[in-house]
Amino acid sequence: MSKNLSELSGRKGLRENLFEELGIASSQSGTPSAEKINTLSEEYLMGKANIYGTATFYDFTRPENKGKKVYVCNGSSCLTAGTQRKLKEKLSKHFKEEEIGEMCCLGRCHENSSFNVGGKNYSGNAIDEIENIKNQESEIKDHYNVTVKGTPVLTNKITSVDEYYQTLKLALGKTADELLNELKVSGLRGRGGAGFPISFKLESAKNSAGNQKYIVCNADEGDPGAYSDRYLLEQQPHSVLLGMMIAGYVMGANMGVVYIRGEYPEAIDITQNAINELLSKKLLGKNILGTNFEFDFKVIRAQGAYICGEETALLSSIEGQRPEVRVRPPYPTQQGLFNKPTVVNNVETLACIPYIINNGGAKFALIGKGKSTGTKLVSLDGFFNKPGIYEVDMGTPLSVVVNELGGGFKSKVKAMHIGGPLGGLVPIDKINDLTIDFESFNQNGFLLGHASVVCIPQDYPIIKYIEHLFQFTAHESCGKCFPCRLGSTRGYELVNKAMNSDYKIDRELFTDLITTMEIGSLCALGGGLPLPIRNALQYFNEELKGYFK
Amino acid sequence: MNNTITLKPKQEIKLAYIDNIPYEIKDGETILSFVKRYKGKKAVPTLCDAPNLDPFGSCRVCSVDVALAKDGPVKTQASCHTPVMPGSFIYPDSDRVQKLRKNIVELVLTDHPLDCLTCEVNNNCELQEVAARVGVRDVRYPAGKNHLDRKKDLSHPYMTSDFSKCINCFRCVRACDEVQGQFVLSMAGRGFDSHIVKGQETTFNLSDCVSCGACAQACPTSAISDVFESKSIVADKKVRTICTYCGVGCNLEVAVKGGIIKSIQAPYDAEVNTGHTCLKGRFAFSFYNHPERIKTPLIKRNGVFEEASWDEAYDFIAKELTRIKTDHGSDFIAGISSARCTNEENYLMQKFIRAVIGTNNIDSCARVCHSPTAHGMQETFGTGAATNSIVDLKVTDCIMVIGANATDAHPVTGAKLKQFALSGKPSIVIDPRKIELANYATYHLQLRPGTNVALLNMMFYFIIEAGLEDKNFIAARTEGYEAFRKNILKLDMNEMERITGVDRELVKKAAIAYASAPKAMSFHGLGVTEHSQGSFTVMQIADLALITGNIGRHGVGVNPLRGQNNVQGAADMGCQPHQGAGYYSVSDSLNHEVYENFYQAKLPMHKGYKIPEMFNASLDNKLKAMWVIGEDIAQTDPNTHKVVAALNNLELFVVQELFMTETAKLATVILPGASFFEKSGTFTNGERRIQAVHQVVEPLKGTKVDGQIIVDIMNKMGYAQPDYHPDNVLKEISQIVQFFEGVKWDELGINGKQWPVNKGGKGTQVLHTKGFMSGKGKFIYKDFAESQELIDHGKEYPYIITTNRELEHYNCGAMTRRTKNVLINTEDVLLICAEDAAKHLINDGDMVCVESPRGKVDVRAKITDEVKPGILSSTFHFPEVMLNNITSDVHDSEAMCPEYKVVACTIRKSKGKYKEKV
Repeated sequence: MSKNLSELSGRKGLRENLFEELGIASSQSGTPSAEKINTLSEEYLMGKANIYGTATFYDFTRPENKGKKVYVCNGSSCLTAGTQRKLKEKLSKHFKEEEIGEMCCLGRCHENSSFNVGGKNYSGNAIDEIENIKNQESEIKDHYNVTVKGTPVLTNKITSVDEYYQTLKLALGKTADELLNELKVSGLRGRGGAGFPISFKLESAKNSAGNQKYIVCNADEGDPGAYSDRYLLEQQPHSVLLGMMIAGYVMGANMGVVYIRGEYPEAIDITQNAINELLSKKLLGKNILGTNFEFDFKVIRAQGAYICGEETALLSSIEGQRPEVRVRPPYPTQQGLFNKPTVVNNVETLACIPYIINNGGAKFALIGKGKSTGTKLVSLDGFFNKPGIYEVDMGTPLSVVVNELGGGFKSKVKAMHIGGPLGGLVPIDKINDLTIDFESFNQNGFLLGHASVVCIPQDYPIIKYIEHLFQFTAHESCGKCFPCRLGSTRGYELVNKAMNSDYKIDRELFTDLITTMEIGSLCALGGGLPLPIRNALQYFNEELKGYFK
Repeated sequence: MNNTITLKPKQEIKLAYIDNIPYEIKDGETILSFVKRYKGKKAVPTLCDAPNLDPFGSCRVCSVDVALAKDGPVKTQASCHTPVMPGSFIYPDSDRVQKLRKNIVELVLTDHPLDCLTCEVNNNCELQEVAARVGVRDVRYPAGKNHLDRKKDLSHPYMTSDFSKCINCFRCVRACDEVQGQFVLSMAGRGFDSHIVKGQETTFNLSDCVSCGACAQACPTSAISDVFESKSIVADKKVRTICTYCGVGCNLEVAVKGGIIKSIQAPYDAEVNTGHTCLKGRFAFSFYNHPERIKTPLIKRNGVFEEASWDEAYDFIAKELTRIKTDHGSDFIAGISSARCTNEENYLMQKFIRAVIGTNNIDSCARVCHSPTAHGMQETFGTGAATNSIVDLKVTDCIMVIGANATDAHPVTGAKLKQFALSGKPSIVIDPRKIELANYATYHLQLRPGTNVALLNMMFYFIIEAGLEDKNFIAARTEGYEAFRKNILKLDMNEMERITGVDRELVKKAAIAYASAPKAMSFHGLGVTEHSQGSFTVMQIADLALITGNIGRHGVGVNPLRGQNNVQGAADMGCQPHQGAGYYSVSDSLNHEVYENFYQAKLPMHKGYKIPEMFNASLDNKLKAMWVIGEDIAQTDPNTHKVVAALNNLELFVVQELFMTETAKLATVILPGASFFEKSGTFTNGERRIQAVHQVVEPLKGTKVDGQIIVDIMNKMGYAQPDYHPDNVLKEISQIVQFFEGVKWDELGINGKQWPVNKGGKGTQVLHTKGFMSGKGKFIYKDFAESQELIDHGKEYPYIITTNRELEHYNCGAMTRRTKNVLINTEDVLLICAEDAAKHLINDGDMVCVESPRGKVDVRAKITDEVKPGILSSTFHFPEVMLNNITSDVHDSEAMCPEYKVVACTIRKSKGKYKEKV
């Protein structure tokens, strides 16, 4: 993080956004040219090294991305489903080796075999139509189940935009304090993983000095296995946008930034179209609905970096800085985007706001269990008989989700990785102990996270999964803090060596390594990886013990 | 548990616990600073933390265990960026954190060449120290990916890198950003592959590096260093002294081995420069023992210099001076003291000229730089010195930088100004060139050279128009406002806009920004003073502070950026023809009596010659002898032909010098003086800070400390003056210069004292807090007047060339050209815009003949957008070009400072032999 770079980038801000410029400069060739980097460094006064440093960070702008035409999903779900190898084989008949890259993950976990070509995502059997897809003759949409069990907070279909934005009228008729109070009463906590009450952030930003403030939607749903945010952006974009506008009104922000991962091209287009619709209906700009409220949106297309799901990295990303995790304080609510007070919230969290404003915080608080109020979207992967997105009341038993909603597994599964790569590894016999809420998972030594479920089939070696987790973290580590940068790579090497040779891992060394990452890392990436690994060591010791001495 | 102690009513102390013992905490401090304060600087090991950088949190080695209640759940937190919570329990060395630190360092060592014994920083490496401390005995990981094969970068004259030694702490990147603001370094790649880059993976030499060395000093290993190995050098001694390359007054820590200077570092505890300095201060020291140093007195006989003994030289000079004094009178002799020399030496020089020779013909190079500042500020405030301190940049709300290219000429202050501009607070740059700072500033008023007065009058107009005057301040502390106001309001803004070439709306915005800031500071340099209206411009800058009440508090004021290291001191010590030591007029009978009594000598009461008047007097045969210390007037004073003719017309010309400069070549006698490394004394920086200069090495064999030379000649000519020692001279000075009253050699400490220093030894950060020396601040209105240079020659010579300085070189370059700086900046160049270049078919790099009414020079073109059409700019660092052949002797109407900044000229492509010059 650099205050100076934030300020310099802020001079052109979102209008001529540096990060967007870098993305555009990379869109054709895969990486910006050296000349372009020089030009940008002169325009933004941020130095060649910094612009270059940013470009070399992201999967889709770094020099290695040059010439890539098609990307295979290497997310956890596609991995455990074992579909990647075949997919690559098929693709290599149509593309040169150096034209095939990887993306993690495309959020097609419900049917796997996913790939990205020509700026669009495909999955399932689409690979068999690759020739037509290449020639842009085929439009294949994905389909998955969307079902609610309990109160439909997020999944009620929005039929009329005009009608839906009556809620905005309702909100603008109240004071920011009144709305803030409703949010407090609702007990709404962040759905991105940390479970932090949204009202705290909004209040803190509201109380920070400054005319310019930002509300940022974190739509960098990077957890392999999760696609609930993609669902909301593609099928319910107005719930997110309206949630942001109300949050903006509460905190005093007139600008909303939707930061959407580049792996979700359709979500970017759909969200932008929804914003255009609001513009045409004059629901954006100045004097919205005849009030003094003004608001605008900016959609930022991310360029492939899991770490950008971390809120401070995300802010640096929008600024065109390297998305390295920042220290706190200062908190984003005091000094966030372009050094201005900023609230960053997850898609699903923001999408809950319209319901709360319409029905009152108290009604929302009635849904759920204890401190986990409201509902939760759960993403089930292709191992389930009925993969898809399920909205359940917080506190719903996991067994109901797995057996009733998901319809059980297609084949034998020994564990579920719930809550993303940093979530817990839940052995199948723990299903009956858990309910879908923050506290239940914590108390049992797991993490609800974003409530994505990736299944690990019976025949999939746990050691291989641990290797994948280290490899994922090593690939996605921003490289700032020592424990994560070095530890994730060394962890991968240890496991890899043990898998491929007689080498036995020293248990004390391994424990030291994961403890160092756990308590020493700057953010939840390095700090969170040890959880599933500890779970694996605990529940699959028999399977793993041969690799250790 | 009660975590506060109640002392007096309403006064509470917040406490936190270290190993269960309570200590008081300061508001907002981090755990690291808290623990260090009570348990010592090395209480917590760190790798990414650095004294002059913001907390960053990458290494995590500083982690400590923290519980919010006694025996409560413990959490490991990085102490460098976590604020101390009142009532928390901190365990800086719990078993868990000790193990964590050891395990982190072990990971670091998996990707580090373990070649300590042959490493540059062996025994002086922070990683080594931390590894030893946390007790790593073994790297348990099997060999894996690493970066040990990274290539060294030895491309640059000073900077080096060996990134196989890099531990990714980001200190270099942060130093380049937070200290210098240059953004040359960044991390590239991500995760394990992340690595430091210069530019786009280029070398130091090809990057935009300004060689300040902040990164090398910040680096905890030898990943970035310098050719002098300055951070690891095993020295016999390290001596703290003050840099001589500009008026900022950076503290230097000079390492000496075997009597030779090996390297220089910037101390972190220096208030002036806090661990920072520029490439001149840090690297350009090798001039001091350059083979070309003059090592014996030289007497010119029949046009040839002959070596002489010191006694021979002294006898020769004493005899000649006595002869001229007897034959023509004392006023036929003049001296120019050196702003490069110490206060004590300057004091002695003026004393010698006044008390021994018996004339007031004493001046210093302040004449050609900031004499209008002294005059203008004396007229308005009563005191001709900076009102505030540079540290006030931390509290101000707005800066106005006029006619000062600080990032080149005052690099450490320049870097601070740049940091201010980067912060986004309003910053105004008034300069004909698009200087580096202008790129970052909120407003750049790019006026035509020579129109400062018109532009500042516009600012007054808009401030008054907007009603932004500080009426209370004006009423209470100023005089002459009503008449001033009336004159301003009479001005025609269309006319002023035409004269300055600056959009009136832009001027208006800048004026309003300055006037509406709660605290605004101005900084100015030679772009203000070196004009025919130099003094008037200074008065306006002072009046701008008065009209907005920006005087007498922290974060405000008028702050001239003094050029030479001791130019403030030279004037303070009386090296001026009209005022003696301490600024008392020599023509006032009361003062005169005080001086006569003090010096025990008969003194003249009439003012002496200013430098330009000395040249005129010589040409008129009214001056027969001159004595110049350390000033290359032949290369740096304007209108070289005239200066050389004047010097050639003297009967005796004594020069104290280090090198055979263009001036020394013209001398009758050359006395080999000593560099600042070879002497002790005091320098006074641009913020009135008197700092101790300590002798680092003995004067080169055959040379003498300049102060001793003057003492020798005083004694030779019959005036008893004790041998040069800063202690005794300073004592003498403190008895005659009132604002030095409490200055004592032994009490200066590491950061010196800002004058006035009272009897008790207390210095002063902010002047004019209550009143002005002259009672009230004065509003003095002045109309814009076109320079005589343009009136006389503008038609025939339609271009304006304005002179400037480059970062790498200092003034005439006598010192910097004898260092590797000359490999970085190799020659004077002519800045010209593309439009003008095209008009004359000039390509980038072509030699251009620049001709003025005085003469012509050939200089290489550099096409740039720094200058507007019709405007050119160049430097006079190199005698090969001798740019002052073309500058004029038009000067400031009041203080006679030459107008280096407005020279009428024509340009064409060079012909003949000049064309071929490479």
